[in-house]
Amino acid sequence: MDFIDEDFIDHNKNNKNNHKKMEVDQNEELPTKFDMEMTIKYVANHGNDKNDFEYTMTEFLRMSGIYWGTTCLDIMGHLDKLDKKSIIEFIKNCQCKKSGGIAACDSHDPHILYSLSAVQILCIYDALDEIDIPALGKYVQSLQQIDGSFFGDKWGEVDTRFSFCAVAILALTNQMNLIDVDKAVEFVMSCVNPDGGFGSKPYAESHAGLIYCCVGFLSITHNLHRLETEKLAWWLCERQLKSGGLNGRPEKLPDVCYSWWVLSSLTIMGKAHWIDGAKLKEFIISCLDTETGGFSDRPGNMPDIFHTLFGIGALSLLGYENLKKINPTFCMPEEIVSKIYQAQILEY
Amino acid sequence: MHGRLKVRTSAEEAARKKKEQDLKAKAYRNGMDKIFTLRNAENFDNNLLELSGKILSVNPDITTLWNIRRECIIKMTTDNPDSASTLFDRDLNFTELCLQVQPKSYGAWHHRSWILENSPKPDWNREVSLCTLYLKKDERNFHCWDYRRYVARKANLSAESEFKFCDEKIQKNFSNYSSWFYRSQLLPVLHPHPSDSSRPISEEKLKEELEIVITAAFTDPNDSSAWFYQRWLLGYSDPKLDLACFKLTQSQAVIAFTKLVDLSKDKITISTNTSLDKGIWRSLSGNKSDSIWIQKGEFEISDDILIKMNHNDKTFELEARKIDNNSIIGIKLPSFGYEFGAAVKEELKNQLDSCNQLLEFEPDSKWTLLTAALLMRSIDRFQYHEKTLEYVRKLQKVDSLRAGYYMDLASKWILEEKLKNMVESGKFDKIDLSSLDLSVVYYNQFLFIGNEINLQNNSKLNKKSCKFALVDGCKVTF
Ligand SMILES: [Zn+2]
Repeated sequence: MDFIDEDFIDHNKNNKNNHKKMEVDQNEELPTKFDMEMTIKYVANHGNDKNDFEYTMTEFLRMSGIYWGTTCLDIMGHLDKLDKKSIIEFIKNCQCKKSGGIAACDSHDPHILYSLSAVQILCIYDALDEIDIPALGKYVQSLQQIDGSFFGDKWGEVDTRFSFCAVAILALTNQMNLIDVDKAVEFVMSCVNPDGGFGSKPYAESHAGLIYCCVGFLSITHNLHRLETEKLAWWLCERQLKSGGLNGRPEKLPDVCYSWWVLSSLTIMGKAHWIDGAKLKEFIISCLDTETGGFSDRPGNMPDIFHTLFGIGALSLLGYENLKKINPTFCMPEEIVSKIYQAQILEY
Repeated sequence: MHGRLKVRTSAEEAARKKKEQDLKAKAYRNGMDKIFTLRNAENFDNNLLELSGKILSVNPDITTLWNIRRECIIKMTTDNPDSASTLFDRDLNFTELCLQVQPKSYGAWHHRSWILENSPKPDWNREVSLCTLYLKKDERNFHCWDYRRYVARKANLSAESEFKFCDEKIQKNFSNYSSWFYRSQLLPVLHPHPSDSSRPISEEKLKEELEIVITAAFTDPNDSSAWFYQRWLLGYSDPKLDLACFKLTQSQAVIAFTKLVDLSKDKITISTNTSLDKGIWRSLSGNKSDSIWIQKGEFEISDDILIKMNHNDKTFELEARKIDNNSIIGIKLPSFGYEFGAAVKEELKNQLDSCNQLLEFEPDSKWTLLTAALLMRSIDRFQYHEKTLEYVRKLQKVDSLRAGYYMDLASKWILEEKLKNMVESGKFDKIDLSSLDLSVVYYNQFLFIGNEINLQNNSKLNKKSCKFALVDGCKVTF
């Protein structure tokens, strides 16, 4: 789950000023219908031009980029638009011979974030045996610390995102016995805050993205009973704003990717009905780029593949027509996950 | 990827930009190729630091480049220990530069802490000052807040001094959830409740805090930051672990807890001094965690039973009485929230008056309605029962995004009232929950005690929430 934070807002104010002389068409009407065809093309063509600036500058998260692309194409029923063979070849090249971990792309260092993305892609392609799974398991095992937490790689950053990645990788590859699950749970529970939410580590501020990681973690390890669901789910349903969109923390702007982090967490806790699904649907669709396909973070912004997946993922959770069902814990097609692992979901 | 406005440009402008970007992409490619060549040749020197610095200062999210810098620093300080302080200082300055470009870069923040953890003389106080400065620029940057809590601990700053910092931030701007959040972490350390560990802070402090927060909340009633803090002060009603209910018949024993528990893992022991102690409890749902647990068998209905639960060295008890030749039952009404002392209640009443006054002018004010309802529940949840329901029903309309939440909240409060009446009357045989506009059934762990439960005429009821209906001997009509 590689996610970059919500609000580059302040920093981007400067950007907007740079663009002052350029014209922004404010009167353009926001889309109200999701034309899937164009978005399928948008995702499928992403990365066709290997020298493209954006594409080049995001190579450090390429593996996650491919996961976002394959997952949303599969949810839209068009996985065939990508070349399975070359993707699997790419993943094989990214597994580190020494550590067993997987890197975002060739020459870069292995990291647990990209290891999970790789495993997710391989599950979608039913091709887990293409990489060295025991070596990957050992890699994940080597990152667990005495307090139960996980490093992201050997350089020692600790984050609840990595706890999620660890158990997700091990669940999908059937190697959960490699780590001390009880200790891992205790660490995640030590990150609960007075407001019911979770941050990246103990004492860190609650944030919807990290709440998803922790709720997802507890769902995978079947420990949802450790949550104070009423308190947490109320905090999460308060993320919905008048526009119908969701933000990641109180008094922040809405953003399509939070549609996923918030709605999936609520779904896992059986409280998806605590927000207005129809209004959320409207907001997500208003972020569709009708010229190119793909979703942006907010109406009128540039689309990208990250927001395209999380927009479509949330639409799938909302039962949008013609989309495959998505699994709220793993953010992968339900039909794939259900064959591999049963995570815990509360019904109400 | 975030917050980038889509702008329309002329064809020439687009072409010019494309050219500019192509050059940048090429420069990046060349730079990265050089870096990886040097790294593979193990040329960990100033040149490599410089090359990686050029790219990181534009894009600080490239983790591998931070790793390479760390490799350089380790190699160079091993070869020449005298260079350590210069190298560490230089990278501290460098991360500052990157954070100015991208204050939310995980990589830059982590590199900073790596430098400090590895440097011989880390100046943690300088880090605290840096955070103070950064939080002036963006008082919601959670990376910086989280980093501040880490360096403040390293610098051995007292909770008092951090509280002072946090308080100043709030005084300057009430609308800052991050500061209120930090406050809710610091107060339990500074002013713990002397006797009740389930309560975050002492009553005296609570009263003061209530006064402060209501002023803040009324300053801008549409800003949610202070209201969240107010709700934290009033306490949430998620129940604490306890025994809830017990029912023994000739063929089955049922034991229930106030919350979901995993009896195989949660280190809970149940003792009854009967044959039940030798049997195995199975969860009603078949899941690992559940609030209702069952034992099947042949049981004798003879004397009253005292059930004891041990958890974390605490003992909880439930008395179960033989009510006829067929059953022994016990029920313990849970606390539905905190019971505050007289002084705090006085303050809560004042606040309720203020809320009600505000509602005269702004009858649709969401936060005022919700807080008023919560205040009434905290003062006397059953005396104000009808009024709180009226407010919540109103919230379903004025805050319609969350109508589902308010429906469930009303259902919960209705059930609390019913439970209380049921326990007071001592009549458990037939439970009438019909025509109450319930959307969900809370408190499953008390309802299986009845033989007949009527849930008819609740058209919006989610039947999945009625798990207790699965208990044998429990006849439920929908
Ligand atoms: Zn986003």
